[in-house]
Amino acid sequence: MRSIIYYIREFLRPEWLKKFFFAKTAPLVTPPYFKDYPSLTGKECTGCFSCMMICPAPGGIEVLRQKDRWEPEIYPGHCIRCGLCVEACPEDVLTSGRVLDVTRHDRTAFRSWYHLEVDNTLCMRCGNCCVSCPINKQEDPQLGATGTSSSDEVIMRIEDGRVQILHEEKCTGCKTCETNCPNQAIRVARMVEGVHEEVEA
Amino acid sequence: MKKTVDVSIPLGPMNPCWKEPLRLKCETAGERVIRTEVELGYMKKGIERIMRGRPWQEVMFLAERVCGICSVVHNMVFIEAMEEISEITIPPRAAYLRVIANELDRIASHLIANFSYCYTIEHETLAMYLLNTRETVLDNLERLTGSRINTAYMIPGGVRFDLLPEDAAAMLADLAWVEEEMKRHVRIFETGPLIALRSRGIGVMTREEAILAHTVGPTARASGVPDCDLRLRHPTYRELGFEQVTRTEGDNFARIMVRFQEIFQSIDLIRRCVDTLPEGPIRGGGFCKAGETTYSGEAPRGELTYHIKTDEYGRVLDIAIRTPSIMNVEACAHSMIKDATSIADVTSTFISSDPCIACNER
Repeated sequence: MRSIIYYIREFLRPEWLKKFFFAKTAPLVTPPYFKDYPSLTGKECTGCFSCMMICPAPGGIEVLRQKDRWEPEIYPGHCIRCGLCVEACPEDVLTSGRVLDVTRHDRTAFRSWYHLEVDNTLCMRCGNCCVSCPINKQEDPQLGATGTSSSDEVIMRIEDGRVQILHEEKCTGCKTCETNCPNQAIRVARMVEGVHEEVEA
Repeated sequence: MKKTVDVSIPLGPMNPCWKEPLRLKCETAGERVIRTEVELGYMKKGIERIMRGRPWQEVMFLAERVCGICSVVHNMVFIEAMEEISEITIPPRAAYLRVIANELDRIASHLIANFSYCYTIEHETLAMYLLNTRETVLDNLERLTGSRINTAYMIPGGVRFDLLPEDAAAMLADLAWVEEEMKRHVRIFETGPLIALRSRGIGVMTREEAILAHTVGPTARASGVPDCDLRLRHPTYRELGFEQVTRTEGDNFARIMVRFQEIFQSIDLIRRCVDTLPEGPIRGGGFCKAGETTYSGEAPRGELTYHIKTDEYGRVLDIAIRTPSIMNVEACAHSMIKDATSIADVTSTFISSDPCIACNER
C-alpha cells in the first residue's frame, strides 16, 4: 500500500505530468565547449613541429610540406582530441572548440627542450633517422640516402658507421626519427612544462 | 522434505548485472551461499607496460584510460606523484580548480555506481533518474575541461584551462539543480520499502572484517572504519575543511547511502571552491626530474596508489598502479556475500561494493 502511494506521489508531480504530456526532446546542438578534432584557422604554419612534439597519440598529427608552405594534417582515426596541439602551437594555426580562445584568454603556453640519445646496441646504422628528420633536410638538401652528410649544420649524420649527434639544440622534438627507426634505437626525450605568461613577466 | 543440493554457481564472466567481465564462483547449499571465489583476468590491457619509457604528456593520457569512470582521479594522482618527484609546487588557483574537476568526477562516478545498484535490484526508475542527473554533471565537467570523460585536465605545475566567471555561474546553477534532484532521489531510496527489503541488513560487513580485508573508500566508510579517506590528508581538501562521511551499518543500504552523502558533500566542496577561488596564475611551470615515489590519492572507490620511477628526462622508467577495487572485490567475496540467503542478493551485494574491473586489471 505504501509503495502504491509512493508511485502515485511520484507520478502526480506537476512537473512530471507536464514532462509526460508535453515531452519534447531538446534539439541536438553541439555545445560551444565541445572539443572537436583540430581544424586549421588559415594562419600560416611556420613548421616548428610543436604540435607533433606534444601529440600523445601515435600518428595523430603530421606537419607536411605542401608546395610552398607547411601544413599540419590531423588523422582523425588516430587523434584523441586532447587539444594539446592547439595549446602548444605558437602561431594559432590550429583550433578546436574553445581551446584556442581559452588558451589565449589564460595566456598559457608550453615550454620545452629535447635530448636525443641513440642506443648503439640496438642501432643498425640504417640512417633512417637522419634521412627522415625534417630539420636535417632543411639544413642539408644534399643529404645522402644512407644518412651521410658533408654539412656540419645537420642535427645528426652517419659518421664512421654510427649515428653522430652534432646539434641537439636544433631538434624540435617532432619524433619523426623515433617513428622511422626500425629498432627503436633512437629516443627523443621531450621535456615539457606548462607555463602561464604572468609568471614570466 | 525439500531436497538440498550442493552446487557451484558461476556468475559471469558475462552476466547482465556485471558491467565488466569477472567471474564469481559461489558454492551454495540450496540458495544459501557458503563460499565465494573471485576470478579476474578477462580484460588485461597491459597499460603499465605501455607507459614505460614515455614522458608525462603521454603517460597522463594512458593513466586516465586505466578506468573509464574515475579517469580524472587517475590523472590527478599520476600528476601529483610526478610533482612530488620533481618538487613542483602548484599555484593555489590551480589547486582549487583541480578539486573542482575531481569532485565533479566523483559525483559522476558515485551516480553511476548507485545507478548500477538500483538497476541490479530492479528499481529501474530511480536508476534512470540517477543517470539523467549524471548527464548534467558530465556536461559541467565538459564545460570546465572540454571533455566529458577523458579530460586530461591536470599537468605538472597546474591545470590546462581556467574557469571563466560565466562558466562558474552556470556550473553553480546546474549544481543547485543536481542537489534538488538528488534530495528527491535520496528520499526515494531512503524511504522506499521495497528498496529496504533488498538492501537493509543484506551483505553486512562488520568493521573488523573491513579492517582485516583492507577495504578502502565508501565500502570501508559504510562499515565505520574511521579516518580512511585520503582527502583528509590532501592539503587543498584540508584547507576546505573536508570531513569524512561514516556510517556504521555496513550493509548494502549503508554503502549506497555513503555515496549519496558524498555527492552532497562534493557539491558543497565545489561551491566552497568556486566561492573562494583565489586569483592568480593557473600554471606554475617546472620540468619533471628523476626520482622515485609512492603517492596515494582518494579515488571515488577508495585509495589509489601510484608507484613511479623516472629518469633524468622525466620519462617513466617503472610504474605500478594499485587500484581500490582489488581490496573491495576480495572483501566483498569473502565477507559480504558469505551467508547470503539468495543468489539474487549476491549480484546486488557485489554491485554495491562498486567493483571496477577495468581498474583492477589495467
